[in-house]
Amino acid sequence: MKKFRLTMILVLTFVLILSACSSPAAQTTPEEPSEETTLVVWDQFYREEESKVIETLNAEFEAAHPGVKIERETKVLADLQMTVKLALGETDGPDVAQVNQGRSDMGALVEAGLLLPLDEYVATYSWGNVFSSSVASRNSFTPDGKTFGQGSLYGVSPTAEVVGVFYNKGIFKDNGWSIPTTFEDFDALLAEIKDAGITPISFGSLDGWNAIHEYSAIQHLLVSLDYINNLTYGVNNVSFDTPENQQAAQILSDWAKAGYFSEGYAGIGYDDSNNLFKSGQGAMTITGSWFAPELMTGTDQEFGFFLLPGFSGKATMAIGGVGVPFAIRKTTEHADLAAEYLNWMISPRAAELWAQAGMVPAMSLPEDSKIATDNLFGETLLAWDTINKNNAVGHYIDWATPTFYDTLVSELQKLLGGVTTPTDFTAAVEVDYSNYLLEKSQ
Amino acid sequence: MLYLLPAFLIYLLFTFIPILETFRASFFDWNGFSESRTFIGLGNYLNLFSDPLFLKAISNNLVFIIFYSIIPILIGLFLSALLSGQPIPGFSFFRTLYFLPQVISMVVVGVIWRWMFNPVSGPINQFLSLIGLDQLRQAWLGSFQYALPAVGSIGTWVQYGFCMVLFLAGIQRIPMEYYEAASLDGANGFKQFLHITVPGLKSEIGVAMITTMIAALRVFDLIYSTTRGGPGDSTLVTGFLIYRSAILNNRIGYGAAIAMVLTVIILALSFLIRRLMSEKQEEQA
Repeated sequence: MKKFRLTMILVLTFVLILSACSSPAAQTTPEEPSEETTLVVWDQFYREEESKVIETLNAEFEAAHPGVKIERETKVLADLQMTVKLALGETDGPDVAQVNQGRSDMGALVEAGLLLPLDEYVATYSWGNVFSSSVASRNSFTPDGKTFGQGSLYGVSPTAEVVGVFYNKGIFKDNGWSIPTTFEDFDALLAEIKDAGITPISFGSLDGWNAIHEYSAIQHLLVSLDYINNLTYGVNNVSFDTPENQQAAQILSDWAKAGYFSEGYAGIGYDDSNNLFKSGQGAMTITGSWFAPELMTGTDQEFGFFLLPGFSGKATMAIGGVGVPFAIRKTTEHADLAAEYLNWMISPRAAELWAQAGMVPAMSLPEDSKIATDNLFGETLLAWDTINKNNAVGHYIDWATPTFYDTLVSELQKLLGGVTTPTDFTAAVEVDYSNYLLEKSQ
Repeated sequence: MLYLLPAFLIYLLFTFIPILETFRASFFDWNGFSESRTFIGLGNYLNLFSDPLFLKAISNNLVFIIFYSIIPILIGLFLSALLSGQPIPGFSFFRTLYFLPQVISMVVVGVIWRWMFNPVSGPINQFLSLIGLDQLRQAWLGSFQYALPAVGSIGTWVQYGFCMVLFLAGIQRIPMEYYEAASLDGANGFKQFLHITVPGLKSEIGVAMITTMIAALRVFDLIYSTTRGGPGDSTLVTGFLIYRSAILNNRIGYGAAIAMVLTVIILALSFLIRRLMSEKQEEQA
């Protein structure tokens, strides 16, 4: 008998736990307080300086909209990417969430009908004046989610990014080196730095993804903007197996062979190589402007930033784009409020706060802003303005196909390790690309 | 029988139903969150066996068996023989020390060893320089030649303590008289180990083999926190490929098919080892 009672207690406990799990959803639906609205927002600004910007903006949003409460949930990007796809399908999912660009994230969500097209709000808030069409196309898909870069807008990005060269001003000054103005000069400088016994480029390829930036930064100097657009958006049937792409691969592999990268770079992770650079080991590093805030504090070294210079007689184009955009869940009951929140995130005030945090805002800074620009942040901002004005903002090429990231990482490691040649490299990547085009056309 | 119900419900809810769902998903072309999914029959399975990445991953898993299973069992046997002879001072200290890697979370292990293998600041390369072997310094985790054995040896480090503790317990069961009789007959320590200890530990070796082999086949966290399958695909394993296909590339159906094949392989291997072990025991009896 005693045993039976114990069992019943256990079963009851279990049933209670189960019912407790399902109760919150059941409770929220019937009683929606009319005077207080809660806007659930998921973002990926987990770093301290970034998080502060969002907290300030959220507090100001709540103050300007009485009766509105923002329930913020912060995750690192990888976590967000994994959970947001399921959460956006739920009726009590986040009203606003950051959704990564590209086919496997935003594209797949649009295809599944989980994101709200923003066309209506583009007109309401005149977002056409806030960002260029080139920026907007990065957050656009056709409603079937199949074509990238056209159709409706599905998100707005608060920050901008440009991939270029960070350099150690002290090392440059001590050795009498100056910022090269052509790619040929840059190449010659690498040899000179190496001869001086200094690591020319701090780099670690263990994590893989940043090798795509090293390669593609060179590639962007050789190809046209049309080509990069076609490749990324999967239109006009371009090929990856081209002489320009081979040449870029050749240059990268030559750099590796000449010992221009950190010793043992194949076994060094991205953060570790950045720490080496920050501590003064290495004259330059090629990465995105997001690295700037980290270089502005906690170091006795002084750093600068310049765009990888173009081949003589050729224009400079750089990898760049806008950060992870905010999007709205299609089934949200507070669509207008959510759009208002998106507008808040790309306001002049937001631009100012991002600039203060050392991050390049995607929006123009207000005329009267008092942000100091005679520093590293100013140099990244200038680089972004330059490519933006010259219509030379390229792309992260790993968006091109759902598997392009994995393919590029794997093939670049093989190229750098001397396992494959530049022609093998472009051929192997082309297999992935042409398979995707074929699949898409069916 | 009623007292089994709670455990059974938990098992049903968190193990059995997910396995069935995975099995079902493996017949569909599905991204995991969209309403529409297309039934493609055995399509995923057929694609699988012509996918060079899958074949590479499986062959890497087999190499992992050497590092996760065979070497740890050999080290475990050796250490348990060392520790089990005459009582030695600090026995429990050594036992705890050797077992310690087993209780650390695999992700932490990965982070620790990523630092150990760091070409610039890692202790392994620094030690090599210290003893004048500069030419042996490597970019361990990024080297096409050494990444797989390097990651594999982390597995060895984690698993041998478990094997050792298992064998130490087993040795206590072997009657001391066997050893006394053997030494009277003039068998030395090594011969006693080979002819008394090892056969006496048959069932423990079997258990160690099944557990560590399953660990070798389903390894994911270690790869995730060290090389992510690189350089190239030289450390790509099935577990990581499942994650990459199903989660990162939105191909749940394909990932599910890989998972099902992996499950079948694990079940078949476990069954085979159990059969082998029980046959051997019957022979002995």
